[in-house]
Amino acid sequence: MRRLRVVPVALTVVAVVSAVCALSLGTPYVPPARLPATLGSDGLAGIVVTELRLPRMVLALVAGACLGAAGLVLQEALRNPLAVPEMLGVSSGAALGVAAPLVLALSVPLGLQPFLALAGAALGGLLTLVAAGFGRSPSSVLLTGAAVAAALQAGLLVLMVMADQLDLQLIYRYLLGSLSARTWDDVTGLLPWLAVAVPALVLCVPVLGVLRLGDDDARALGVRVERARVAALGIAVVLIAPVVAVCGPVAWVGFLAPHLARRLKPDGGAAGWLVRSALCGAVVVLCADQPARLALAPVETPVGAWTALVGVPVGVVLLKRGRRAARGRDRGPASAGPASDASLPVPGQAGGPVRGAESIPLLRKAER
Amino acid sequence: MSVSEAAPGTARQAWRSPGVRLGALVVLVAAVACADLFAGRGVAAGGVRAVLLGGGDPMAQHIVLQLRLPRLLVALVAGASLGVAGLVLQSALRNPLAGPEVTGVTPGAVLGAVAATGLGLAGWDSPAAVVVAACLGGFAGAGLLWLLAGREKGDPEQTAVYGVLVSAVLAGLTAVVLLVAPGELGSVVQWLIGSTEGRVWEHWHLLWPWAAVWGAAAWLLAAPLTLLRCGDEQASAAGLDAGRGRAAALVCAVALTAGAVSAVGALGFVGLLVPHLALAVFGADLRITLPGAALLGAVVVCGADAAAQLLSRLLVVALDADRLTLPVGALTTFVGAGLLLVVARRRADER
Repeated sequence: MRRLRVVPVALTVVAVVSAVCALSLGTPYVPPARLPATLGSDGLAGIVVTELRLPRMVLALVAGACLGAAGLVLQEALRNPLAVPEMLGVSSGAALGVAAPLVLALSVPLGLQPFLALAGAALGGLLTLVAAGFGRSPSSVLLTGAAVAAALQAGLLVLMVMADQLDLQLIYRYLLGSLSARTWDDVTGLLPWLAVAVPALVLCVPVLGVLRLGDDDARALGVRVERARVAALGIAVVLIAPVVAVCGPVAWVGFLAPHLARRLKPDGGAAGWLVRSALCGAVVVLCADQPARLALAPVETPVGAWTALVGVPVGVVLLKRGRRAARGRDRGPASAGPASDASLPVPGQAGGPVRGAESIPLLRKAER
Repeated sequence: MSVSEAAPGTARQAWRSPGVRLGALVVLVAAVACADLFAGRGVAAGGVRAVLLGGGDPMAQHIVLQLRLPRLLVALVAGASLGVAGLVLQSALRNPLAGPEVTGVTPGAVLGAVAATGLGLAGWDSPAAVVVAACLGGFAGAGLLWLLAGREKGDPEQTAVYGVLVSAVLAGLTAVVLLVAPGELGSVVQWLIGSTEGRVWEHWHLLWPWAAVWGAAAWLLAAPLTLLRCGDEQASAAGLDAGRGRAAALVCAVALTAGAVSAVGALGFVGLLVPHLALAVFGADLRITLPGAALLGAVVVCGADAAAQLLSRLLVVALDADRLTLPVGALTTFVGAGLLLVVARRRADER
């Protein structure tokens, strides 16, 4: 019980500290106490804070929230804890869509860029789903996704080989995901997309909850499983594509955030996890942006490199803990049957949500 | 394979003899090598033939002898190394998906090489240091995967998934190194995808002894590896120390991969898919299949190189650009990804 309360508090503290860091650290340094006075003032510090640091912070939060939510939607819809945008070809597809016109020197209006990213992301995701078959075993979906992602990545690298030395730095930085030199225009550009994506997310939550019961049960309840998966993929694409168009594929946030969210509230339903996953994603990107800005100052490192370095190991640890908990409950894939994803379960996912939630040790302790 | 089967019979029976298959592959290697020599830009086919017959003008001589020939040889040996390394890895780990790309070995080797060049510890003037760094990186990548997944003896696909994750971390590190030392970016990008562009005799002189030594070591391990493929119990029953044999095999595989990576970069999917091809053609006796995998790897990479050069020529004509080159790694990755889709699909169907 105690432990469950400590985590959200710690997360909040981390978020606040990161936000203060995001606004005050750097050149010029603005002491936290003077931040409210500086905001909106006309001096150099005021302009730097309101026109550069604040939009960057907001963008980090929004991008992280989008990626986190998209990651959770994908993981839940495909019932696979490793179904993240990076491993389904969605991120690489979107990046290819943005980078291709840049290298080929086609002039594209700024407003059109998210559509290119959207097309690329949808292409990558659909390619994976079609090639893997919709309802097949999770690991074969992942392998297919890895192959698709590798092919798209190879396409990107071909483009990079063709690019000028000057373009190259730009593209490389973009491909890793970077928040540098983003302004309020970039933030407001995301708003129409959010206006589409957020209602869709709210609408898809009940379906996600049903999908977690397993394909057969979901069908019995009247959900068309394949169609629901494609719809979930579509929502994830709408969430990811505009973010990728603005700041590049910030890697592995969609992997880490949902696992953190499940850890925060192991017995939560899809709705609770979705909100928590978005919050976690926002905090993760905001945190990662601080070393990205400051670690090698005055050179900025891309935030995506940091999220990959930290996100993957932490996510793997969370995943393994979840599996160990699941294994303590239910021995071996044979007893769970092929339809229940027993090879890669997460807390409360394998073997049905209700039974799974009861048997997680952490949760049992909490209920006592 | 008895003599009575092979000697008088039809062509079909003769084909069953592994010696004939190896011979056919050698012919294929020669054919692909010729294609690679003729495929490039700058000298027409007639000019290449003249140079090969001992004549030709000095310009053509320089292009063929100093540029195309070493490039061809490097491609052949690197492909052979990757094919052997993949087969050794897959046999030692008893995992059909354990190619060097998805076990962290190739990304680790790339990271090592990039870090060494980027941080100024090694350079193109001291290529031996690059090989050593690539080796260290390859071992680090393999070790990381072992830490994550090796002890669990999970199913092959799960290990492959962990391998993809490990590769992601290593790629992130490579990215950071490249950002610290951005000057290297242009020359390294070709390397991230795998390219034989601009390989000269220096690379060849460095690559072939390394590949020969470790290739011979791998071949000496062929018999124990064949046993290991049958399972640890059978290997122990036959008097083999399974743990030690596996460790030796892994060292060989990492060294071969590191050598290939430091010469041509991370050629995608060669080490993963060539072993499957070799096993399909030659069967499970690794004493025959290892040389077969080497030849097949050489054919694949060299053929891809020839195709890549032809395609770049066509692209240059079609797009009217003059500095366009398609790296060979792009071709192997595209084709390999398609093949991997087929393999994954078939495995899913078998369930």
